[in-house]
Amino acid sequence: MKKKLIELKNICKAFDGEQVLSNVDLYINDHEFITLLGPSGCGKTTTLRIIGGFETPDEGELLFEGQKINDVPAYRRNVNTVFQRYALFPHLNVYDNIAFGLRVKKVKEQEISERVSEMLSLVNLKGFEKRNVSLLSGGQQQRVAIARALINQPEVLLLDEPLAALDLKLRKDMQVELKNIQTKTGITFIYVTHDQEEALSMSDTVVVMADGKIQQIGTPIDIYNEPINAFVADFIGESNILDGVMLSDYKVRFASHTFECLDKGFAQNEQVDVVVRPEDVDVVPVEKGMLSGIVTSVTFKGVHYEIIVDIGGFKWMIQTTDYVAPDALIGIYIEPDAIHVMKKSEYSNMFGDYSTFSDEIDHLSDVTEDEEE
Amino acid sequence: MKKFSNFYIGLILFLLFAPIAVMIFFSFNEGKSTAVFTGFSLKWYMELLKSSEMLNALKNSLILAIASSMIATVIGTMAAFGIHRMKNKYTRQSIMTVTNIPIMNPEIITGISLMFLFVFVGGLLGLTTKLNFWTMLIAHVTFCLPYVILNVLPKFKQMPNALPEAAMDLGCTPFQAFFKVQLPAIMPGVITGLIMSFTLSLDDFVISYFTSGTDFQTLPVLIYSMTKKSVKPTIYALSTIVFIIILILLLISNREKSSYERLEAKKAKAEKKRQEAIKNAKKAAAQKTKVKVTAPKAPKRHTVSPKLTKIIALVCTLAIIVTFCVVLNIASKETVTLNVYNWGEYISDGSDDSLDVNKAFEDYCKNTLGINAKVNYVTYTSNEDLYAKLSTEAVSYDVIIPSDYMIARLASEGLLQELNFDNIPNYELCIDDSFKGLYYDPDNKYSVPYTYGMVGVIYDANVVDEDDVGDWDLMWNEKYKGEILQFNNARDAFGTAFYKLGLDVNTTDTKMWDAGLAELQKQTPLLYKRVMDEVYNMMETGEASIAAYYAGDYLTMVENQADNIDLQFYYPENTNLFVDAMCIPSCAQNKELAEEYINFMLSEEAAIANAEYICYASPNKLVYESEVYKEDMGEDAFDILYPTDFDFADKYDANCYKDLDKKTKEYINSLWNRLTITS
Repeated sequence: MKKKLIELKNICKAFDGEQVLSNVDLYINDHEFITLLGPSGCGKTTTLRIIGGFETPDEGELLFEGQKINDVPAYRRNVNTVFQRYALFPHLNVYDNIAFGLRVKKVKEQEISERVSEMLSLVNLKGFEKRNVSLLSGGQQQRVAIARALINQPEVLLLDEPLAALDLKLRKDMQVELKNIQTKTGITFIYVTHDQEEALSMSDTVVVMADGKIQQIGTPIDIYNEPINAFVADFIGESNILDGVMLSDYKVRFASHTFECLDKGFAQNEQVDVVVRPEDVDVVPVEKGMLSGIVTSVTFKGVHYEIIVDIGGFKWMIQTTDYVAPDALIGIYIEPDAIHVMKKSEYSNMFGDYSTFSDEIDHLSDVTEDEEE
Repeated sequence: MKKFSNFYIGLILFLLFAPIAVMIFFSFNEGKSTAVFTGFSLKWYMELLKSSEMLNALKNSLILAIASSMIATVIGTMAAFGIHRMKNKYTRQSIMTVTNIPIMNPEIITGISLMFLFVFVGGLLGLTTKLNFWTMLIAHVTFCLPYVILNVLPKFKQMPNALPEAAMDLGCTPFQAFFKVQLPAIMPGVITGLIMSFTLSLDDFVISYFTSGTDFQTLPVLIYSMTKKSVKPTIYALSTIVFIIILILLLISNREKSSYERLEAKKAKAEKKRQEAIKNAKKAAAQKTKVKVTAPKAPKRHTVSPKLTKIIALVCTLAIIVTFCVVLNIASKETVTLNVYNWGEYISDGSDDSLDVNKAFEDYCKNTLGINAKVNYVTYTSNEDLYAKLSTEAVSYDVIIPSDYMIARLASEGLLQELNFDNIPNYELCIDDSFKGLYYDPDNKYSVPYTYGMVGVIYDANVVDEDDVGDWDLMWNEKYKGEILQFNNARDAFGTAFYKLGLDVNTTDTKMWDAGLAELQKQTPLLYKRVMDEVYNMMETGEASIAAYYAGDYLTMVENQADNIDLQFYYPENTNLFVDAMCIPSCAQNKELAEEYINFMLSEEAAIANAEYICYASPNKLVYESEVYKEDMGEDAFDILYPTDFDFADKYDANCYKDLDKKTKEYINSLWNRLTITS
């Protein structure tokens, strides 16, 4: 039985009359790597700041090992934070930055020295003690920030988009490193990101948030394979989301075709959202296909081709390893376990087909998020 | 283009620094002249060290500057912190606007309004002395504050919000977070603000002038009051020292700044190198060759070192302690303070191996009377200055030394106290009857004469014919067109014309004044210039050859005249006489000690020292009958100062300037304006 370390009960928070968090319920186990994932403005950073003690919730309870800590100030919480822009102290060098927390606690210099060098080797920064932090590269600053937080041996480490400012390659390396550090130290990590790939690859548990509410909590595999609604399905990975009708258990009708599926428990003829992941669709000759359509675009992605197929006016995205010519008429085949049926939600119909492609738009939203926070 | 810009920069630097360079140069002049360099010497610096008056003012200025800049820095930093944390943009902007008012506001308005405030509040609290060291401190803190805020606020803005949060995250209380993280981050701004406040406070004149009380005179106020007579080279020496202090402070603050800029530049360079390295790495990766990329080493830091910060902190703490002690010393009530308000350079102050009269009085009190007295000596520039200060009723002086007509006015307005001559036994002993019962104090109730003097005509014997001298006509003599100097104030200028015409200088008949104007208009084309203080330089160097001025000042000019000049002096038959006398104003708090002081000033040693220092004639028998004095002054000088061929009382009564009624004064002023504007 895992120990519940932190519990958020019915947390609400508003800024200037704007509701940022509404009724957030969440518990975090000891030694867990949990990620709060969501687009900008979803309330994930606010949740983190409430746990860190930089914001007080308007309503609800924050429990730490069963004790209510709503009014405990940040400096008395056994929690440390790695800030988005690192927030290193520019007037101190690497050593003094890392030693800062221990000095505040009046730990003996001898012990500080030992623990700092321990931390420096943990984050691979040996020999950097005397460096000026503002002259370090982004990745190095990141490591200093992590060391500075970890040296206090917190029970929980909060990380607020710690990798957002790094370039892609470095980000991948740091992801691995962070996960290693977490495994090595066994400290609970609460990680905030808007990058779904980061969340899936590092976390034990992913919390998907949108509009100040938790949408789904689960393991990365659960979240990916069994998204609870259209928002989660769209936000995590690529999805074709179609309107469907649940005819009966294990039978769903969408795209003018009745499919077999593994889902059950819906009312008869209930309107549902159906998710089919692009990689789960097989391209077959027309006569063998369950559905057929015309290829409108083909993009080479290295591992696979990404093709857009117009089937009855709905643009599907399909990933296939075999080349298909544009304007070709193809058939598609979907296995029952590739179909995921979800209840209708407030997010239904918000995510259309792939008639417009959103890579660029995703990118733009990244930038605005960086500016904001 | 480059050449031109270099030339332009050179020109600007020249114009900026030439005056200072000249001042520094002349501070090493051996002679007293401010125009002729006679040889290198450190004489004036030595003199400065001996002058208790100037050193005291310098000490006061430093105390005030340190105290006010520290307080302003602390309050200003806190204010900037508060303004920075204000969420509402409009409140923040309006607060900033209010903050900036003292910067935009003319100093004189800030000064006057502060003075009114202090007088008003002091009145409400029922204080007798409404202006003192503390009011001055408040005033200085007030005008320094916005500069601190302006320097500190941007530093707060540059600092990421996450910094204090990070500190608290690591276990700091908000208080600790401020001192451990935020303060070091804004330190350059704080230091600049501190230095700016210090220099502003050190050289402020206008606001200090209005808000200073009796007990505390700063250097700029003292220097201003010293310009009544010629500017002494000691002031050059003093100004040189102040300039160097400020220059050093500026260099320190600039060093801080430029080291910060260097760091920024290095940061940018390192970033560029890193980007290049990454690019190269990418290229290498694309070529599928394994190249190990080592990031270039970051340059070493050159920023505000913790050591320097510690030193600054230490110095600041020391300064605060010292200031506190000194301030406590000022405020301590163990000693009796006697506030003396006099003209600038109107007392023997210990310079030039003279007697420091005020110190001698303090010693006298201690040894003879058994009182711990402290003379607080402050100075003014004109009778009108004195009158303005007294009429605010916010100050308290024990002894003042105004001129005759001002004594009459002060007495008539009830601003003077009757003296108890039992406490001034020297009065009967030393003062001749001819100096008693004069117009300004007909019943000998309010005053004890201090100095007197007469206006005469000074001329250069190398230029002026011996036959032309003797009366006022010399100043209207067409032969010397372009060589004549006239007073640049209405009363004295009209005086010369009236004496020439044989009219009564105190008449209220406007026709007479019109006649005076006509006479002056006749003279105008002959004049070289209308001057006051410049008369010294112009006569000493031979720029002009004829001028009317006081006998005592003539002696100073002779001392400093250039080699080819031979200045001579004579009294025309009718000429102005003046008396400056010691009085006790009604605001005095220490009348008995004040009378003791007046008595002491009449005693032989003090009176001779003063007479020799001031160079004006003394009404004190112990002075003018002293052989030592006569010898020290020299026979010629003595004869000029003490002409024997007339009865003083009669001549004084006929020729002194009396306080005219308001209507006449206004009429004279309108005539004077007509004269000086049209010519």
